[in-house]
Amino acid sequence: MPVFNFNPLTLNKIKRFKSIRRGYYSFIIFTLLVLLSCAAEMLVNSRALVVAYQGQWYFPTYGDIIPGTQLGFEYEYETNYRVLKKRLQGSDSGFVLLPPIPYNPYETDLKNNQFPPFPPSFEDQHYLGTDTIGRDVAARLVYGFRTAIFFSLILLVVSYLIGVSIGAAMGYFGGLFDLLFQRIIEIWSNIPFLYVIMIVSSIMIPNFYTLIAIILVFGWIQMTWYMRTVTYKEKAREYVMAARALGASHKRVIFNHILPNTISIIVTFIPFSIANGIIALTSLDYLGFGLPAPTPSWGELLSQGSNNLESVWIVSSVIVAMTVILVMVTFIGEAIREAFDPKKHTTYE
Amino acid sequence: MEILKVEELKMHFPVYGGIFYRQIARVFAVDGVSFSIEAGKTLGLVGESGCGKSTIGRALLRLYEPTAGRISFEGKDITHLSGSSLRELRSDMQMIFQDPFESLNPRHTVGSILEEPFQIHRWGTPLERRQEVLRLLDRVGMPADSVHKYPHEFSGGQRQRIGIARAIALKPKLIICDEAVSALDVSIQSQILNLLVELQQEMGMAYLFIAHDLSVIRHVSDQIAVMYLGRIVEIAERDSLYKNPLHPYTQALIASIPVPDPRRRKTFTPLQGEVPSPLNPPPFCHFVERCAYAQAVCSQQTPQLSSIDGSDPSHRVACHFAGRLSHK
Repeated sequence: MPVFNFNPLTLNKIKRFKSIRRGYYSFIIFTLLVLLSCAAEMLVNSRALVVAYQGQWYFPTYGDIIPGTQLGFEYEYETNYRVLKKRLQGSDSGFVLLPPIPYNPYETDLKNNQFPPFPPSFEDQHYLGTDTIGRDVAARLVYGFRTAIFFSLILLVVSYLIGVSIGAAMGYFGGLFDLLFQRIIEIWSNIPFLYVIMIVSSIMIPNFYTLIAIILVFGWIQMTWYMRTVTYKEKAREYVMAARALGASHKRVIFNHILPNTISIIVTFIPFSIANGIIALTSLDYLGFGLPAPTPSWGELLSQGSNNLESVWIVSSVIVAMTVILVMVTFIGEAIREAFDPKKHTTYE
Repeated sequence: MEILKVEELKMHFPVYGGIFYRQIARVFAVDGVSFSIEAGKTLGLVGESGCGKSTIGRALLRLYEPTAGRISFEGKDITHLSGSSLRELRSDMQMIFQDPFESLNPRHTVGSILEEPFQIHRWGTPLERRQEVLRLLDRVGMPADSVHKYPHEFSGGQRQRIGIARAIALKPKLIICDEAVSALDVSIQSQILNLLVELQQEMGMAYLFIAHDLSVIRHVSDQIAVMYLGRIVEIAERDSLYKNPLHPYTQALIASIPVPDPRRRKTFTPLQGEVPSPLNPPPFCHFVERCAYAQAVCSQQTPQLSSIDGSDPSHRVACHFAGRLSHK
């Protein structure tokens, strides 16, 4: 028996998804970007990847701080590897391998007699320039992407867990339970979301998880409606009755029978929810109600850039990055929707 | 021995509406039905679409909660069973559904569909279950490699065989065949009917065979009940019913069976009008609006299901004029 005994219908859907080139390549690139962002410390970091110094090897990326004294400086704080690299150049006592972008998103790189922002410069390895307080724009973009994508992934998982289970329960049990939750949701969805965020962030400074929690409070609703409808539909089909006739419990009917048949609805909505999560975080950050400074974020870069339009590299890089990511996610979403379109292949045939 | 006894079963569905979502009407799907099934025998239940045949089947299996009446299985009242005793009952009573395209979960393999009854009733080890699944497939005439396939890879007849295998998995004593062959081609119908008859002889199950096709019913039934708008209008042994139909509705049904003889001309007058809405059935005899023999008494008294004097006591009919109607 094969390990992955995929339903041929599912294989068919995957095949069609692959045949939609735009969406399939977007999916590959997007997945790569997410995976790469997990290893961002090795690509964008002020710490060196490898240091060989006086016969000793150091790998500072993920370890503890290596104080300057250990690598021949007079200071006790963390070694500046860029300076170390310059110092070791030409000497035979060792070498330093820096990441492609040798800045972390928090450090300010200032120059004498000049005020940031500095324009892009290959010489300084600020490929996208620096922002208004001298932090590297590329580094903040990369780490901001990582924050945004994991923010929306966590939001997605939790809000779908809540939305799918409440929606499935509403559709399955119907009656008073359904009626009650419909009214609760209607009232709930009329609370203006932005005001709640403003009130909450004026009381406390939200961090990553509290921000997820706040958005979650309103974010579970959307999936609930779809799940409710589709569960109503599936519940009325005879295979559910057959399972009930065999003596299957409600739990078994919902999880073994109904949910697998609603999976295409859930999958279809995932890319659009990811895009929504990114947009939500970015706009909150832009308005200043999001993650506290100095967390790298696209919204914060966007607001800096729009306040300093003469430093066009800030606003243009964040807009290009956002557009590319959102367009890719939308392409993926389109392709999935197309591949799962029930008109193309129906299980009723 | 009676395996199943149904007394005055009523199944009404409320209709809600209006601003306050109150009950505004009732659908009288099944309105006072009594019958019994002998162990190992087949009762055919026949009637038009919407007359409540399927509702009876589902109420018997307790998929619906009956509004009133009493259902007893092997002498035990099962009308209000719940929890584990209801689950136990379900291993004794099973159902074969009308639409083999709908009654098998499209996301499950045939193997897991057939294994499910054993999982639910915690029967055997995984290995024993798998062997039993193969045995079941073999019994209904399906190849063993079907186990890894999905329902949509099979034809209608094959799917119905899978449905039958699932129903007989737990060796039930009663199977409700809810229009089990109506969705199939005629040639496949006979194969499936023969399989059902064979299985009955082998395992000694009783069938409640629900259908709208009189020739199918005649092929499989020992006893036949004719339903009209939520009530049984006539119930009799098979031969007695076909030879001597007493209710005007049964007479019309039997007269409408096509005869494969081109020289015979139509002699009967077809029934006029439509079946009244079960939301608002005629208050006494339900058939009164379409009956050629209706008189004043038919809209004043409800006819009771009873045998007529001087004939077979097992042949019962609900008509004020039963036995006095001559074929026009």
